[in-house]
Amino acid sequence: MSFVNMSVGDAILQVRDLHKIFPVEGGRRLVAVDGVDLDVAAGETLALVGESGSGKSTVARCIVRLIEPSGGEVTIDGTAIVPLPTKRLAGIYRRIQMVFQDPNASLNPRMNVRQVLDEPLRLHLALSGAERAGRVRELVEMVGLTPAHLERYPHELSGGQRQRVGIARAIAVSPDIVILDEPTSSLDVSVRGQILGLLLDLQQRLGLAYLFISHDLQVVQHVADRVAVMYLGSIVETGPVADVFRDPRHPYTRALLSAAPVAQWGVKRTRVRLAGEIASAIDPPDACRLVGRCPMAQPSCSAGKPSLIDLGQAHAVACPVVVDRPT
Amino acid sequence: MKIARLPLATLETSVVPSRARRKPKSYWALRIGIGILAFYIAVALLSLVWTPYDPLTPGIGDGYDAPSLAFPLGTDRLGADMLSRLMAGARYDLGISLTAVAIALTVGTTIGTFAGYYGGKVDIAILRGVEIFQAFPGLLFAMLVVQAVGAGITNVILVLSFVGIPDYLRLARAEIHAKRHWQYAEAARMVGNPPWRVAFRHLLPNSVGPVLAFTSINAAFSALVTASLGFLGLGLGPNTPEWGSMIARGQDGVMTGQWWVSFFPGLAIMGLTGSFYLLGDALSDITDPRRRQ
Amino acid sequence: MSGVLLEVENYSGAFWSPTNELVPVLHQVSYRLKTGAMTAVVGETGSGKSLVALSIFGIQPAAFVCTSGRILYRDTDLLGIDEKEMRSLRGAEISMVFQDARAALNPVFTVGRQLADVYQLQHGGGRSAAMAKAIEALRQVSIPEPERRARQYPHEFSGGMAQRAMIAMAALTCRPSLLILDEPTTGLDVTIQSDIMELIVELSRQRGLTTCLITHDLGVVAEICDEVVVMNAGRVVETGTTEAIFTAPTETYTRRLLAASQLLEAAA
Repeated sequence: MSFVNMSVGDAILQVRDLHKIFPVEGGRRLVAVDGVDLDVAAGETLALVGESGSGKSTVARCIVRLIEPSGGEVTIDGTAIVPLPTKRLAGIYRRIQMVFQDPNASLNPRMNVRQVLDEPLRLHLALSGAERAGRVRELVEMVGLTPAHLERYPHELSGGQRQRVGIARAIAVSPDIVILDEPTSSLDVSVRGQILGLLLDLQQRLGLAYLFISHDLQVVQHVADRVAVMYLGSIVETGPVADVFRDPRHPYTRALLSAAPVAQWGVKRTRVRLAGEIASAIDPPDACRLVGRCPMAQPSCSAGKPSLIDLGQAHAVACPVVVDRPT
Repeated sequence: MKIARLPLATLETSVVPSRARRKPKSYWALRIGIGILAFYIAVALLSLVWTPYDPLTPGIGDGYDAPSLAFPLGTDRLGADMLSRLMAGARYDLGISLTAVAIALTVGTTIGTFAGYYGGKVDIAILRGVEIFQAFPGLLFAMLVVQAVGAGITNVILVLSFVGIPDYLRLARAEIHAKRHWQYAEAARMVGNPPWRVAFRHLLPNSVGPVLAFTSINAAFSALVTASLGFLGLGLGPNTPEWGSMIARGQDGVMTGQWWVSFFPGLAIMGLTGSFYLLGDALSDITDPRRRQ
Repeated sequence: MSGVLLEVENYSGAFWSPTNELVPVLHQVSYRLKTGAMTAVVGETGSGKSLVALSIFGIQPAAFVCTSGRILYRDTDLLGIDEKEMRSLRGAEISMVFQDARAALNPVFTVGRQLADVYQLQHGGGRSAAMAKAIEALRQVSIPEPERRARQYPHEFSGGMAQRAMIAMAALTCRPSLLILDEPTTGLDVTIQSDIMELIVELSRQRGLTTCLITHDLGVVAEICDEVVVMNAGRVVETGTTEAIFTAPTETYTRRLLAASQLLEAAA
């Protein structure tokens, strides 16, 4: 697993100061994404983790413009996606693709596997019918299905097979980067392992970069090179997976890591507890988002939202308290 | 690109659902509905080449002849053969209502899909316009317009389709609007489909169930309005063998015992609308996604 | 601790298919729930783990038919009693917590009212006394400001809070001996999930409950359960203490499931 620096030059996907604000009733503002920076290098996997309400899926959808971001810049290999006129988006989708969470819902029930895989080829590539048919056959075999599956409709496939089709669709036009939006969270554990194996295998063979959206820390540890932890619309900690999992610094990261049960006998966890439940993202005060829940909170935490502080070795944490008082 | 076969799933135990689909309970309704409709269409087509007598010629009988071997359904006041007129009438009533439905279906669904997918101000403007229009009774509207622009088949068809458009528009709009953020719609966008293709190629085929089910209800309504306009003398020319105007022509006879002149056209209308309702019932059952796997 | 509170014995069953054929889904399922212990029934989609639990509670789907077996609860065969007798057991003897708590609560009544209703049904007494008990139950499952929360409707509760309220209803307002939890934390965030599991463990210990946890999450099982029943495709694959299942599984399927849960490469 390669360790990749957060420098600007080699990033295939670059996200700067991404914002998404939803207006809510009463003229208030729901700040779903609040100034997110991300870099994904060619061939690497960056995991974006967080619980529900963290804004991680909104980030993914803003990057590919399924949701219109309120502000910020996104570039892919130097070409802007945000901002970009909607008409020119189709060209961008040759470079960046997405695998959706629920393979059940992301496949059109009235299209068989062949039609699903043929569509991106027809829309993006100037290929003849025979060439497309060949590529479709190549794709199903790449994801571990057989040409016999081509005439099947989604309801005739198992959950794992459906997700394989979703993956084949995403890699059909040979993108540089694929956003994986919780690709295994609706699958059984045994199928989960197979799908993760397939994703890692494809990454190696095709040199794909992944932005892996997940709430499953075990999976993240297994597949990602770097991780960014989100809480209430902001990244609170980022760094190489090994470092963050071995030495989590932000109180939220610690709480999150210590909450995940391990499927092994005799493992005792020491939980780091947060008070209550996630706060509202509506009109958030200019303070650390964890104030009120954090066991380490200081008066200074309420004075301004902290930004990421570099700890060296690409590890950064948005908490001056833990930086000043290392444990 | 080099291809290596990956090992197939080994541990996956989930059962793949069988290809066989649940057989809907309402097949009998569908069969009867289709059967009756097919009979009407056959009669309409037959009337183009053969009727027992000329439907437009009066004085074949003496007038008010009771049903007999020569005139199985009797004759009307002017002595025109009822069976011949009834057969020719199928052409008018069926043709007018089905054409109107086809136009309303196409136009309404197209506008509705457009409004539902794009949303925004245009959508709201279209919806409000439709609501204002629908506050006005359809039959009354049809009567007023036909009165104003004049009778004739084309006008009746246009008015009927215009009355039908809002319902199709709203149905399609509601379905598309609810589904436009479904994952397969988002996936379709990401594959590079232009918006119109996402709406018409991906969302519309998955939204036609309720629209199709409504089609037959609308067809029944259109057949009734056609007959109503004819009955009120607003639709087609006075001698046209249209069932509604035939009922009107026979209504004096009902009082004096010549029931057949109004009864048989009425029966024809009832059979036609009934078959449409049966079809609608069956279709809404069959196209209900919960009844599929 | 060695007594057996509930025993599923050779329980087999099938579903009526749309073409009116019986499709077997459960095959000779047998397992025991030891009195006072926390037993996990683990398995993947289609293993039948929930179906057996629903059968214990007497709410199996209409298309399901039992073809053989018994479910003995304190020497009573739950499959042999009528709906009226079953109703008298529900809540008083056996309680159940479902996956989606917000869907299990009635949206048009306040949470407090629903708990109070259940209390009155089980124990009688006046309305205000029942409401006081409901608030007390909410307090015991660590819902902050229970007086205010009791006046709220289910949609005002987060998923985690709603599950706490359901647990209060199933384990406190009712006074069961057996508590069945069907995927109680699936769909909840991991921090919330851990809190809920801790609450379940604490309540079971406190009240000496026998608990049956239906789950696909082996992590939770390793941490809190005493006994494990592994199911696959309608059959019981293996049963044993948690330590035995995790450290010395005898069946291939168990080993594979463990490996998959730990994201290790499956040992062939």
